[in-house]
Amino acid sequence: MLSRVADSIYWMARYMERAENLSRLLLSTQDLLLDAGEEAADESQFWGPILMTTGDEERYDKVHTTIEGELVALFLALRTDNPNSILNCVRAARENARTVRDQISDELWECINGLRLFLESPEAAALHQNQRAAFYEKVLVASYQFQGIAASTTPRDESWHFLRLGLCLERADKTTRLIDTCSAISLDMPPNPLARPLRWAALLRSSSAWHAFQAYSSNKLNPVDIVEYLLPNDTFPRSFAWCIEAMHTALIALCGNGRLEEMKVPVRLLGRLRADIAYITMDEVLKEGLHEFIDRLQSKLNDIGASILQTFVLYGDSAPVIGEASFLAYHPKVEANMQIQQ
Amino acid sequence: MSSLFNDYQPGSFFDEMFSAPDSARSHYAGITGSIGTLSPAEYAARQRTADTVFLRQGVTFTVYGDDQGTERIFPFDLMPRIIPHKEWERVESGLIQRITALNLFLNDVYHEQKIITDGIVPRELVESASHFRPEFKGVKVPHGIYIHICGTDLVRDGKGEYFVLEDNGRCPSGASYMLENRNAMKRTFPGLLQSLPVRPVDAYGSMLRETLAHLAPLSVIDPNIVVLTPGVFNSAYFEHCYLAKQMGVPIVEGRDLVLKNDRIFMRTAKGLQQVHVIYRRIDDDFLDPLVFRKDSLLGVPGLVKAYQSGHVALANSIGTGVADDKAVYALVPKMIKYYLDQDPILPNVTTYLGVDPKECEYILANLPNLVVKAVNESGGYGMLMGPHSTKEEQTEFAERIRANPRNYIAQPVLQLSRHPVFQGDHFEGRHIDLRPYVLYGDRIQVVPGGLTRVALKKGSLVVNSSQGGGSKDTWVLWDDE
Repeated sequence: MLSRVADSIYWMARYMERAENLSRLLLSTQDLLLDAGEEAADESQFWGPILMTTGDEERYDKVHTTIEGELVALFLALRTDNPNSILNCVRAARENARTVRDQISDELWECINGLRLFLESPEAAALHQNQRAAFYEKVLVASYQFQGIAASTTPRDESWHFLRLGLCLERADKTTRLIDTCSAISLDMPPNPLARPLRWAALLRSSSAWHAFQAYSSNKLNPVDIVEYLLPNDTFPRSFAWCIEAMHTALIALCGNGRLEEMKVPVRLLGRLRADIAYITMDEVLKEGLHEFIDRLQSKLNDIGASILQTFVLYGDSAPVIGEASFLAYHPKVEANMQIQQ
Repeated sequence: MSSLFNDYQPGSFFDEMFSAPDSARSHYAGITGSIGTLSPAEYAARQRTADTVFLRQGVTFTVYGDDQGTERIFPFDLMPRIIPHKEWERVESGLIQRITALNLFLNDVYHEQKIITDGIVPRELVESASHFRPEFKGVKVPHGIYIHICGTDLVRDGKGEYFVLEDNGRCPSGASYMLENRNAMKRTFPGLLQSLPVRPVDAYGSMLRETLAHLAPLSVIDPNIVVLTPGVFNSAYFEHCYLAKQMGVPIVEGRDLVLKNDRIFMRTAKGLQQVHVIYRRIDDDFLDPLVFRKDSLLGVPGLVKAYQSGHVALANSIGTGVADDKAVYALVPKMIKYYLDQDPILPNVTTYLGVDPKECEYILANLPNLVVKAVNESGGYGMLMGPHSTKEEQTEFAERIRANPRNYIAQPVLQLSRHPVFQGDHFEGRHIDLRPYVLYGDRIQVVPGGLTRVALKKGSLVVNSSQGGGSKDTWVLWDDE
């Protein structure tokens, strides 16, 4: 498989997963506000952390002076000038899919292309304006469809493994960011006045883990248990440990484990992280500090992402630089246009 | 008998199907007996079925200068164009004769230049052609073949005589539409295709692959072949993907290829893999920034060097554009005579050269009656249709011609043949041309049929897809019984 094709499949999956996570986060925040009562008077304390999670604070501050729910939701969903909006994530997924159309199934292409056509339509803007929850659900369903079609139409060769790598790395990253939105909140439980049970419930909902966690833990909403469930516990398919396990499977399928001296860099980095998360206790996490621990996980994930790119795509010498925004750095349109096709 | 074609008027043109109203030519008898008996509503339903097939599969092309809906469906008219066996035999031998002469010409101008020293072709004409590549003088190319894939444009005049309008010897496109049109016909009129002795076209993919494999360095048993595309933004990207899929070879962009030890490799997730043959759909100018345009990001630095050293083959070769320069075109009949000592089987359209002072004067004096073309443009861009042009357009063209006469040629307006085309609920005549595909590998093969292009606008003579043209399936018959 061409390196560029691998890269595009990887990013196609990442951007779809990113759009899905963003939709769920916006949906659960909206629900949280409905339950928050008096607390909800100051909207900014709910929406501010979301901008921090997605890393879009600066960009948002450039276009808006106040943090209001309406503005943040629109900014993250449909603004074309926000490169990380749901719309732009889906466009990026679609552009990547388009360059490898001959390598993916028609059904998969039609699913992504259909979602893009919807998001660019006036109906999407109207739906986001009037029935926001339905808008987010539509994106979520499209993403589930994408995963289902991918699972049932992709041959289990390199295409599948790169798709899984992209999807799981993005998901692992987003899970840590979601947990981080709660890292400053008290770990106490009611009746302690500092307890914020609604916020912890929202975290579970943002991760689609509400029902699964209820079945798993009989111990009400203990924040420490929630963090344990989403970080080192590998049973739930959005938990950090689960994602790392799935990435490991894909990576081994791609380049084998190998002996230590010939082991590829991503295998080594991922193996270490995998051991770290498998053998850590919650006491150790809390001792280090939840935010600090998550920071460390994220920087390791970044290293792994970079090493995957280096190993499979950028290896060698005169390679062009393909970064996170590789779809933006595409060939200048004009030049491709000038090619005469007689 | 009531028929869909009852009110059809062939008019004063050469009509492919009707020699007179209600009198279909014999090779169309199968059609009048089947399609002719459908009601307009039934026929329209079949047309819609075919359109849906194209839509769903995304058989599209991109229109330049249009920032909005850049991807469009190439309009397809269900009514097939039929060519009888005898007629095709002549066309085929004419095409083979022509590609043979063009390749001998290219081999000559890039080596000994006998045709120039013998005074048949003026040196200035060759050397001023913008696609002439002096860098390639004396470079040996595999088997001495330059044009491996040719898409010659043929037209028929008011009497039904075939003429060559253009030789497209650089990157001819449209073969994917030829294949997809046949697929659409198989789905909409399966019975009809079965009942007539129609020659299949679906071997094109394997013929193309065979042609390309023939170019590989002799030391390679199982060559790696790739299709080199400018990328997703190119008008013909769909076609590039389609042909790569038909041949079962990777589609690559310039940035996927690297040069090492004068060899070309593609970058795969498992490492570098050598490439032996490149079917390139990128112009010469953009192929290699070290030799041609320095600012090109589409090409591969060092590709020309690898090609010159024989480690990788290109189809088509570099510099073939000198043979399909519209001014050089006028001399092809002379080349056929010179190299093959034969008379052209398929004649040229009368052509006036801007570079010849006398002919230039004639062009300027007769603009309203001529088609004027820029010698390097294609796709229907940069031309003036005399009879349909305004005074302002004529004045503007006259200025351009005076400023650079070498850049223009003119031809009389041909009354292109017409074919019935379905318009809402009835058939009307529309002008058509024909682009057969000729492949030159270990032997010359012509795909039976090709792409029939239709000027869908009433009265229009321009068939290019970028100018509102559509296409038809083309049926060449095994025999004429």
